Amino acid sequence: MEKLKKKIRSFSFWNWVIASIIFRLILIYFPNNLNLSSRPEVSTPLTSFRRLSEGYWLKQLSMSPYAGSMYHGSPLLLSLLGPLTVKRIEGQPNHLLYSLVSVIADVVSAMLIRATGQNLQVAYFGTLKSFDLVKQIEGSEVHSPGDVAALIYLCNPFTIVACIDESNEWLMGRMEDDEDDDEAVFVGRGPDAPPRKLFLQMHQEKGVLNQSKLPPCFSWGPIIHFAFWALLWSVYVLVLCGISLKQFGGLWEMFKSTYGFILTVEDLSPNIGVLWYFFAEVFEFFWNFFLIVFHANILFMILPLAIRLHHRPCYLAYVAVGDSALYSDMQFSLFLFCGYVGVSPLSPVMHNLWIWRGTGNANFYFATTMVYACLQEVRMVSDDMTSIKGQKSG
Amino acid sequence: MAETKEKSHSDEKPKPRVRPIVRLGIFLVSHSFLVSVVCFTSGVLALFLLPVLAKNTYISENALMPGSASPMLSNHHVSDGNRLVKDLTNSNLKSSETGIESHKIIAKYMLDVGAEVSFHKFHPQMNQFHPLHFFSSPDSGKIQENCSCSSYGINTVGIIRAPRGDGKEAIVLVTPYNALTSSFGEVLSLGIAYSVFSLLTQVTWLAKDIIWLVVDSQFGEYAAVSAWLREYQTPKFSSHSTLNAEMCPDINYLFEIKVHSMAGSKFSNSFRRAGTMTAALVLKVRDQSEQFDDTVSIYAEASNGQMPNLDLINVVNYLAVHRQGLRVNVEKLWSLLNSGWLKSLGEIFESLATIAKSLNPKFKFGIPATEYVEGIATLASSLYYQALGVPTGPHGAFRDYQVDAITLEISPKFSLDKVWCSDILLRGGRLIEGVIRSVNNLLEKFHQSFFLYLLTSPSKFVSVGVYMIAFALLIAPLPMVAASLYVDANSSKGDSSFLFAITDTDEHGITIRSWRWLNSAKSVFIVHLWGAIVSLLPYFICQIPDCSPTTSFMIWVLLSILSLLILNLVLASPLACVKASQEKEWALVKSVTISSVFIGLGLMSVINFATAEIGALLMVPMCLLARPLKLDVRVGTLRSCCRIICNLVLGHIAFPPAAFFLFKGMLDGFGSANVGDFWMWVESLWAWNSATYLFIGMVQLPCWVLCVSILFHSC
Repeated sequence: MEKLKKKIRSFSFWNWVIASIIFRLILIYFPNNLNLSSRPEVSTPLTSFRRLSEGYWLKQLSMSPYAGSMYHGSPLLLSLLGPLTVKRIEGQPNHLLYSLVSVIADVVSAMLIRATGQNLQVAYFGTLKSFDLVKQIEGSEVHSPGDVAALIYLCNPFTIVACIDESNEWLMGRMEDDEDDDEAVFVGRGPDAPPRKLFLQMHQEKGVLNQSKLPPCFSWGPIIHFAFWALLWSVYVLVLCGISLKQFGGLWEMFKSTYGFILTVEDLSPNIGVLWYFFAEVFEFFWNFFLIVFHANILFMILPLAIRLHHRPCYLAYVAVGDSALYSDMQFSLFLFCGYVGVSPLSPVMHNLWIWRGTGNANFYFATTMVYACLQEVRMVSDDMTSIKGQKSG
Repeated sequence: MAETKEKSHSDEKPKPRVRPIVRLGIFLVSHSFLVSVVCFTSGVLALFLLPVLAKNTYISENALMPGSASPMLSNHHVSDGNRLVKDLTNSNLKSSETGIESHKIIAKYMLDVGAEVSFHKFHPQMNQFHPLHFFSSPDSGKIQENCSCSSYGINTVGIIRAPRGDGKEAIVLVTPYNALTSSFGEVLSLGIAYSVFSLLTQVTWLAKDIIWLVVDSQFGEYAAVSAWLREYQTPKFSSHSTLNAEMCPDINYLFEIKVHSMAGSKFSNSFRRAGTMTAALVLKVRDQSEQFDDTVSIYAEASNGQMPNLDLINVVNYLAVHRQGLRVNVEKLWSLLNSGWLKSLGEIFESLATIAKSLNPKFKFGIPATEYVEGIATLASSLYYQALGVPTGPHGAFRDYQVDAITLEISPKFSLDKVWCSDILLRGGRLIEGVIRSVNNLLEKFHQSFFLYLLTSPSKFVSVGVYMIAFALLIAPLPMVAASLYVDANSSKGDSSFLFAITDTDEHGITIRSWRWLNSAKSVFIVHLWGAIVSLLPYFICQIPDCSPTTSFMIWVLLSILSLLILNLVLASPLACVKASQEKEWALVKSVTISSVFIGLGLMSVINFATAEIGALLMVPMCLLARPLKLDVRVGTLRSCCRIICNLVLGHIAFPPAAFFLFKGMLDGFGSANVGDFWMWVESLWAWNSATYLFIGMVQLPCWVLCVSILFHSC
């Protein structure tokens, strides 16, 4: 404990933020050498920068941006980011502006995480005060969980890669905040870095939490409050989308080629999920059957999980503050860490073997994605196990 | 209160039954010492067993059908080839200052048999530092801007369009030729290629276009071939090619006017292409020969240990041995052939095999001792060249574009006079014809046979499934030892800080236990970061003009040490106080080091198996044995003494430059060793985009540093 605290205390928050920004800026200047925007690990059909510019180009020609099954994002992104894909500064790398915007977005989301953490801490102290437990905690130093979480977010190599690769994922993340995120989390489709997804989810949960200042005594008021604002925001977004797509088939078209696209797994280009491989192998005849199996599977899992972990948000917050680290107590931390370190270079190597050298085949790459999926599974299970354990002992 | 109640309750409960697989894991981890000794020795043993386990090669792709048609190359074509040889030797005698004359002769001969001819002008690319090239796509070659007209090479390209094909596939035949200092062997290889070429213009069975590429080898054969391939594979839509042509008008003038006047229509100025390449053969003839037979040497290793499809080697081997009566040769480490201990090892295996056969006549796995020694020598050279990651000939350039290619070097029995000349032309030509005819039968690209294999003789191979066993056994102890060290360090009773923590609260105890490795991970990470910096340093050092290899190497060493110190000062300073407080810190560091080595070796085995195998032989014992010297000195038993000696020896051997000099000394003798040699060797590695360079810099060197720091750990 002492060690951890010393380490955390020894650096100041802002130094690390600046360092991570500088690191990003340096990396932005070598996009050609790194060739990240064409890597299947970071740019999927949903988030690829090229597809975004293609969609923008189609829109400029007053065609539907979804024509040709190229672009599958929100139409609002086109109006927001589209101009950035075309504009460039003379003598600078292409898409410099776009990359800069993505860096800013990363910093902003880190700040939001931090703010959430601070809210959470306030709420936590409120709780403690109500039980007269403040004195007990004064002995052991408590760090702002928001700071730590924001730093982990900023210094996470996966986030950095996602930022540099010019994908529009960061914005997708923000937009998806309102929508149901569960599906993407469970299927592991898409390149999202693990902590990132967790953050998004926690973001939601914490959002609920910090409005309900006293978790032990449950009240409907804040929930309704939250639901109202969420509803208002989604209606607002949908109306905007509808306006911008009025001439190209309206909202239905948008749903069909964004959420419909995700649900029916049309594009089978490899990514680090496992569905592309599976659906490439499945007979055409069984396609619908397996679609239903996979998606229904998620629906089935939501209910038991919700029942088993109904108090989980409270618990997570409890641990996060108490231990001032995010994955506070995990049994397999070293194993998981080594797994992630091992898998992340393995995936480009396998892709290289398969696509460029021709000595491997799709199974090689699929093996990597399987390992990745297993790691995610182990992490999720151990996450849940700790929360269940906590419930038992607490 | 509630907590303690809960605890006592859980204590009373009967322990849940542990699953067998978990129990097995716990057993392995708890007996990690025994397991690692057994695994490592069996891994080394399996490596030495590979020649015994090697299988005979077979033609896997049915469509190839080598040797099913009788060769059509007749004396008529041979005399054509002889004519070219004579003309070229005459022109060399006449004017040797420019090679243009001989290129024109070749072009004229090609036009005579009705092929399309074009010249390809290229500028040799300088060696560049691009170790990450391996990960990027091969067509990212840049066009050099400032190339002078004085240094350029000319490749002559002749293309036969297949009468039965759709022009979408092609077979490439490459003959290196240096017009300035042409040896008779080179001219003879041109003669062989021409006799085959003139035959192929007449045959009706051709379904794939034939490209005959006469490469100008004055800047090296590989550079010329790769320049041509780059141009072939990356169509230019910009005006670069025209720009180049305008810059050096005199060359164009020479070609256009004179060749054009010779034969009119089929000569073209622009770059000519045929279809995608199915296979490529590089043909060479050696001048002097020490062999007792006419032999064909096969060179197959491309960059980063990539091999062409085994079927291609099989076809050449089958046709050469069974049709043309040539001996086929693959590279061997000759120094191993006379070693006594290998011979006795072979005899042991042989006698074991005879015993096994006497027990059950169905056991037939033994091979004679001499064959075993030859197999080991071939296997060692196969491993060595794959591990270097440097292609063994111009065929390596093709492999970067997924084209299967090999170099065939024909070395005749006698010195090359007229009679033997025709004989070699006939037999070599028929061999080439047979191979081309086989490849011509292919319906799809080579895929049926192995890409990942090691040769133990021209007709025997070890496939990936077999040689991976040896490697897997070698690295299997790593995760177990890492796990057992990790468990040990976390549950040790002597650790006071941990006990204190556990009395604090249970939750905190768990947290600390599961995150204690973070500090060691940080120091391991710092060393690996340093390794990355060290691997990048040569990029800056090689910019210094007029630097001898020895001084460059010295600068490199100095800068590396300096950067290690700086990194330690900047990043690791808060560690120092923590380190002192923890007794078992070294065990955690060792555990994390071993995990990182395991990841690195596993990754490398996918990229380049041979490098990983050799690296594992060096690094695994070092990692496993590393233990603070102080502890061993304090104990002072026989076992710890042995460990100290082993540690010291391994600590010296596994340092990359030391390993290099040791290996070099074993091959060439220690007399000629020079400090600059290591720099030159490393330079050749990064110039050829070898992943071995990255492996040495980012896995082996950091591992060595960490192990040495564990040895000298103050505890």
